[in-house]
Amino acid sequence: MTRFWRSGEPFIWLTGGAQALSLIMVAGLILLVMANGLGFFWPSDIVGLTLTDGKMVMGQVTQRERIPQPGALPGTADRYRIQVKVGNRDLYGADFVWVEEAKIAKRQTPRDAILIERREWGNLYGVIKEVKEAGSPVAQGPQAGWLALQARVPDATHVAKEIVRIEKKEIGAINYAQEQIRLRLKKLELREITSGPEVDRLKQEMATWQAKYKDQEAALARLNQSQTASVVISAPGDKEKELPLTQVVRAYRPNTMGVLAKTGFYLAKVWEFVSDDPRESNTEGGVFPAIFGTVMMVMIMSLVVTPLGVLAAFYLREYARQGPFVSAVRIAVNNLAGVPSIVFGVFGVGFFIYFVGGTIDRTFFPEALPTPTFGTGGILWASLTLALLTVPVVIVATEEGLAAIPGGMREASLALGATKFETTWRVVLPALMPSILTGLILAMARAAGEVAPLMITGVVKLAPSLPLDGFWPFFHLERKFMHLGFHIYDVGFQSPNVDAARPMVFTTAILLLLVVLVLNLTAILIRNRMRKQYAGSAF
Amino acid sequence: MANDTKVFEPGEPLSTARPVAVSWKAAGHRLVVDRLARRLVTLGGVAIIGSIFAILFVIASEVYPLFKKPTASLVQTVSTGFAAAPLGVGVDEYREIAYLVGPSGIRFHRVTDGSPFPEMALLGLGTARVVSTSPLGRGPFALGLSDGRVIPVEVKFNVAFQEGRRTITPDLAAGDPFMADPAGRPIQRLAYAVTKAGPLTAAVVGPKDIVLVTVKETKALIGPATKEEARETLAVPVEGEISAVALDGRGEDLFVGASSGQVVRVDLRDPAAPKVDEPVLLTSRTGVGLTVLGFLIGDRTLVVGDAAGAVRSFQLLQSDGGQRRLTKIYDFAPHVAPVVAFAPSRRDKGFVTADATGATHLQYGTTGELLIAIQAEGQKPAALSFAPKADGLLLADGGGGLSHWLVNNPHPEATLKSLFGRIWYEGYNAPEYVWQSTGGTDDFEAKFSLAPLIYGTLKGTLYALFFAVPIALCGALYASQFMHPTLKGVLKPTVEIMAALPSVVLGFLAGLWLAPQVEKVVPGLFLTPFVIPLMILLAVFGWRFVPAAFRRRVRPGTEVALLVPIALLGGWLSFLLGGVVERLFLSGDYRGWLLSMLGLTYDQRNSLVVGIAMGFAVIPIIFTIAEDSLSNVPQHLVAGSLALGATRWQTALRVVFPTASPGIFSAIMIGFGRAVGETMIVLMATGNTPVMDWSIFNGFRALSANIAVELPEAPVGGTLFRVLFLAALLLFVMTFIVNTAAEMVRLRLRRKYRYL
Repeated sequence: MTRFWRSGEPFIWLTGGAQALSLIMVAGLILLVMANGLGFFWPSDIVGLTLTDGKMVMGQVTQRERIPQPGALPGTADRYRIQVKVGNRDLYGADFVWVEEAKIAKRQTPRDAILIERREWGNLYGVIKEVKEAGSPVAQGPQAGWLALQARVPDATHVAKEIVRIEKKEIGAINYAQEQIRLRLKKLELREITSGPEVDRLKQEMATWQAKYKDQEAALARLNQSQTASVVISAPGDKEKELPLTQVVRAYRPNTMGVLAKTGFYLAKVWEFVSDDPRESNTEGGVFPAIFGTVMMVMIMSLVVTPLGVLAAFYLREYARQGPFVSAVRIAVNNLAGVPSIVFGVFGVGFFIYFVGGTIDRTFFPEALPTPTFGTGGILWASLTLALLTVPVVIVATEEGLAAIPGGMREASLALGATKFETTWRVVLPALMPSILTGLILAMARAAGEVAPLMITGVVKLAPSLPLDGFWPFFHLERKFMHLGFHIYDVGFQSPNVDAARPMVFTTAILLLLVVLVLNLTAILIRNRMRKQYAGSAF
Repeated sequence: MANDTKVFEPGEPLSTARPVAVSWKAAGHRLVVDRLARRLVTLGGVAIIGSIFAILFVIASEVYPLFKKPTASLVQTVSTGFAAAPLGVGVDEYREIAYLVGPSGIRFHRVTDGSPFPEMALLGLGTARVVSTSPLGRGPFALGLSDGRVIPVEVKFNVAFQEGRRTITPDLAAGDPFMADPAGRPIQRLAYAVTKAGPLTAAVVGPKDIVLVTVKETKALIGPATKEEARETLAVPVEGEISAVALDGRGEDLFVGASSGQVVRVDLRDPAAPKVDEPVLLTSRTGVGLTVLGFLIGDRTLVVGDAAGAVRSFQLLQSDGGQRRLTKIYDFAPHVAPVVAFAPSRRDKGFVTADATGATHLQYGTTGELLIAIQAEGQKPAALSFAPKADGLLLADGGGGLSHWLVNNPHPEATLKSLFGRIWYEGYNAPEYVWQSTGGTDDFEAKFSLAPLIYGTLKGTLYALFFAVPIALCGALYASQFMHPTLKGVLKPTVEIMAALPSVVLGFLAGLWLAPQVEKVVPGLFLTPFVIPLMILLAVFGWRFVPAAFRRRVRPGTEVALLVPIALLGGWLSFLLGGVVERLFLSGDYRGWLLSMLGLTYDQRNSLVVGIAMGFAVIPIIFTIAEDSLSNVPQHLVAGSLALGATRWQTALRVVFPTASPGIFSAIMIGFGRAVGETMIVLMATGNTPVMDWSIFNGFRALSANIAVELPEAPVGGTLFRVLFLAALLLFVMTFIVNTAAEMVRLRLRRKYRYL
C-alpha cells in the first residue's frame, strides 16, 4: 500500500481527473445547448390529455421532471409531472401548464388536432370547427375545414405579406423622404431662410409625398378588405376562437405528418429562423436582423482593426528601436487585452458617443438637434469600440508571425537592393498574410461573442430598420442595431414570457456558438498549417 | 592563335551585359515611398499606444469633476430699497426675479439691478402688517400678520419663450386670510404645510403658546366647497421661549425649539389630538439657545442651528421599543456666531446656513461635509434663499442689500467618504454601505457607495477562482508532464475553444439552466470534490488488478480517456449520495436546514452558480498560461531529476512545479483579472442585489454588471454617470495593475529559463 502511494501514480491520475473534468465541461456545455436548441423546430405530436377530474388539456409536451417531495419517507415512489405547451395565450392566459402524470386518465394523439402559428398571441392549438368566408361558413368539421383552410392560407399569407411590404417599404420610404425634407427645411430655417423658391419647392415636394401616402393608405385599406376568410377553432375548456386567415403564419397537423414531412417542415422552420424578422417581442419568428447586425458590425470592425493592428505590430517589431520603451509598450498592449470589455464600452460612451458624436452633431447635423444623430449609440461607435477591444489580438498574432519569418528572407531582399518598404511590402507581408488572417479571425470571433460593451454603445432589442438599406447613403452608420449575443440576453432575461422564450434563446445560442466556433477553428487550422510550412521550409 | 585577350579601355563597362539604368529620379522616388511608409507605420504604432493612454485619460477626465472642489462667486450686490430686514427671500429657477417678504407684503425685484416690479397688493391685509412667514421655496406658504391672522399665499413664475428669448413674469396668488389667534396677538413664528387632508398651520402667538389650525375642505358634488376650520391651542412644555418651529410637509411632526436649547416634538398624525413629547436638548451645550430649525428636502432630516454657532442634523428613527426618537446624525462645521438663517436646496440634500457676521456655509446633509464657506458683505444677513436648481444663492441683509452668488456644485453627493465609506442615510438606523442610485421620488437620497459593488466583484472572483484554480492547475500539470503528445495536440485547441465561448452564452446557461439544476442538487454538488477523487483513486487501485496484457495496450499519457467515464460516474454517484445525505442529515430539505442551522437564505441565482459559470471562463486562461510555463521548464532539469531516481510525480511536484511557480502565479493573476472584469456572466447569473455578505448561497452585484445595467439610463454629466465612469476606472486600474504584475513576473521567468 505504501508503495502504491509512494509511486505517485494516484496523484498523476488525480491531475488527469481534473483534465478529464474540464473536457467533460466543454463537451457537456456544447451538447447541452445542442440538445435544448435543436429540437425546438421539430413538430412534435400534439397530445390530448384527459385528466382524472374530467378536464381536457391539449398541447405539446416540452419537459418531464420528478416532483420534489421534501420530507418524504425513504422508499416513497418517485412522482413525475410533464410540462405541456397549450398555447392559446389569449384564451387561457398562460402558454404552459404542468400536469402530474398520476392524474392523467387518458392520453391520445388526436389526428384532427391542429396547430396554428399566429402573427400575434403565439400558437393556437385546437380542432377546426368551421372555415368562414365573409362571415358565412364554407366548410364544417375538422377534415373539410382542413382542406378549405389549406386552399385559402397561401392567398391570405400573400395578402399579409403585401400589407407588411406596403407598411414597411412604401410607407417607410415616404416617411423617410418626408423626414429628409423636414430636416432640409429646418436647415434652411437655421440659416434664416423661411421663404423663397427653395422653401416653396420643398413644401411642394412634401405635399406630393403626402398625396402618395394617401394612395398607399387606400391601397392598404383595400387589401385589408380583400381578405375576409377566417377559421373557427374550438379548444379544450369549451373555448372557441375565430381567427382571420391573415393572422395565420402557418397551420399544420403534426399528428398526421410522417418523418419526411416533419423533416421538410423542420428545415423550413430553420430557414424562417435565419431569414425572418422576429415576432412577439423577439420570442418567435427569426433573428435575421440580429444576424445582419452582428455581421455588419464585425465587418466594420475588421476594416478598422486590421490596418491599425498590423501597423502597430510592424512598428513594434520592424521599425521601432528595441529598448525599454518598446517593451513597456508591448506590456501595455498585452495589458489592453486583459482590460475588462465593459471598460472599453465606457470609453466608447465617453469618447466616441458623447465627444466625437456630439461634435459631429453640432457641426453637421444642427437641424436635427436636440435629437442626436451620431451623439447616441450606433453601429459605427459599437464597431470602433470593439476594434479597440480586439486590436491587441491582431497585434499579438501579427507580431508572432513577424517573429516566425526567418531573418534571412528580409536580408536577402535588402541585399538585392530593395528598400525596407519594398522588402516589407513584397516579401514580409505575403509571408505574413496567414498570421494576419489568424489574428483577424480571432478578433472577429471575439467581437461576435462580446456583448457587454455593445449594451452601452448602440445595441437595441428591436431595431426599426437595418443599418443598410436602399436610401442614400445606403450605409446608415448612426443607426442602432441588433446583435445575436444581446438577443440572447434580452430574450432570456428581459422577456415577459421566459418559458416561451427559452427554446428561442437556446437556438440563438447555437447559432452564436456556431459562428464563434467556426471562426476559431478556422484560425486554429490556418495557424497550424502555417507552423508546418515554416517548420518544413528550408530557411 | 590570335590573342583574344580583350584590353579594356578606361571607362569601358566591364561586362557585356547592359547596365541597369538607375536614374536618380526613380531611386529618389523609391526612397520617398520608403520614408513615407516608415512615417505611416510609426504613426500607426504611436496611435495604438496613444489610444491606450486615451482610454485612461478619457475615463479619468469624466471622473475628475466628481472631486473638483465646489466654488461660489459673488455676481453682484444690489440695493432693493427695502427699509426693514426682510422676513424671507425667494427666487425663480432662472435666478432673474427675487421676491422678498416685508411688513407690507411680498415685493418682486430683478436680481440683476434690484429694480422693483409693480407692487402686487395683498388683498385682505388691511391695516395689519406682515410679521412672520413660513419657510419659502416649498410651494405654497403662509404669512403671519400682526393682528393674529394668517394669509396663505403662493408665488408662481410664468415662463414664456418668444423668438428665442425668455420672459418671466411673477404672479402672486393669495388665499383667504383666516384667524389663527382670536385674541389678536401677532403671529411671531409660523409653520405651514399643505397635506392631503388640507392645509395645516402652526402659529406661535406667545412665549409658549402655539395655535394649530387645520382646514378641511370637503368638496360636494353640487354647490360650493365647504371649509371647516379646527383650532387647537397648545402650551408647549419647554424652558425659555419658543425660538423656532418646523413642520414637515406631510403634516406629521411639528418641532418646536426654544431659547433654552430644548426641542419638543408634537405628533400631529391625528390632528384632532396632538401628542406632545418630552422636550429634548438639541443644542451643543445647555443654556445655548436654539435659533434655527429646518428640514432638508424630503422632510426627514432636521437641521438645528444654535446661538453658539453649531449646526447639527437629526433624524427621527425607530428605536427598539418602537418609539420614534430624534437621533443625531452629523455635527457640521460650526459658525463662530449665532446661526441666523437657513435655507435647504430643492434639488439635493444640501443646505446653507448664515451666521450673524455674514459667514455663510454651504453644507451637505448626506455626507455631513462643509462644501463652501463664503463671507457675505454688508450688514447682518436677514434671509437666505437657495436657488431652485441649486446653482445660486440669494442673501438679503437688513439694509436692503441683495447679494447674488453663483454656486458651482454639480456633484455634492460624491465625496471620497460617500463613495467608499459608511454613510448614515435617511431612514437607516446606522451608517451603512449602500448602493441605490435611483429612486421613485424627487426627494430621493442617492446612495453611491461603491463598497458593496467592489465587495461583490471580489466575492464573485474569489468563488470563481476557488472552482477554477485547482482544476486548471492540475490539468496544466497533467497536460505538460504526463500527457501523450498526440492527445495534447487535440486538447489544446479544445481549451482554446473553451476560452472563446461567448460569455453571454455561459451567462444565460448559468442563469436559465444551471441555476434551477443546481438548486435541486446542492448537497450532492458539495460532495463531488470528495467523491470524484475517491472514485479516481479507487480506479487507480483497481487498475493494478487488470490483466497486464490489457494494461500494456493503454499507452501512458492517455489515462484521461479512461478517466472521463469514471469522473462522470463519480458525479452521478455524488448526486445520488447527496439525496441520501439530505434525507438523513439535513431533514430532507437542505434549504430549511441552512436557514434554521446557519441562518442562510438560498437564492436561486447565487455565487455558487456564478463560481461555476465564471470558472468556465477562467479555467482556459489559467490553464494555457500555466501549461506554457510548466512545459517550458528546461528538459535537462526533468531528465536530471528522473536520472537521480525520482519518480515522475516527485519530479513534477518538486522540480517542475517550483521552477515554474512564477508562471503559475502570473496565470492565476491573469485569471483573476479576467474574472474581475467579467460582465455578462455575473449580470445574468446573479440577482444583482448589492448586498454585502460572504454567503455562497447569495447573489451579489459586481462593478462591471452595475455599469452595464445603469449606464444606458444615467443622464450624461450627472453624478451617477460620473460615478459609473469611476467604477470603470477602478476596474481598469485594478486589472492593469494585476496584469502588469503578472506580465513582469512572466518576463523574469523567461529570462531565468534562458540561464538555466
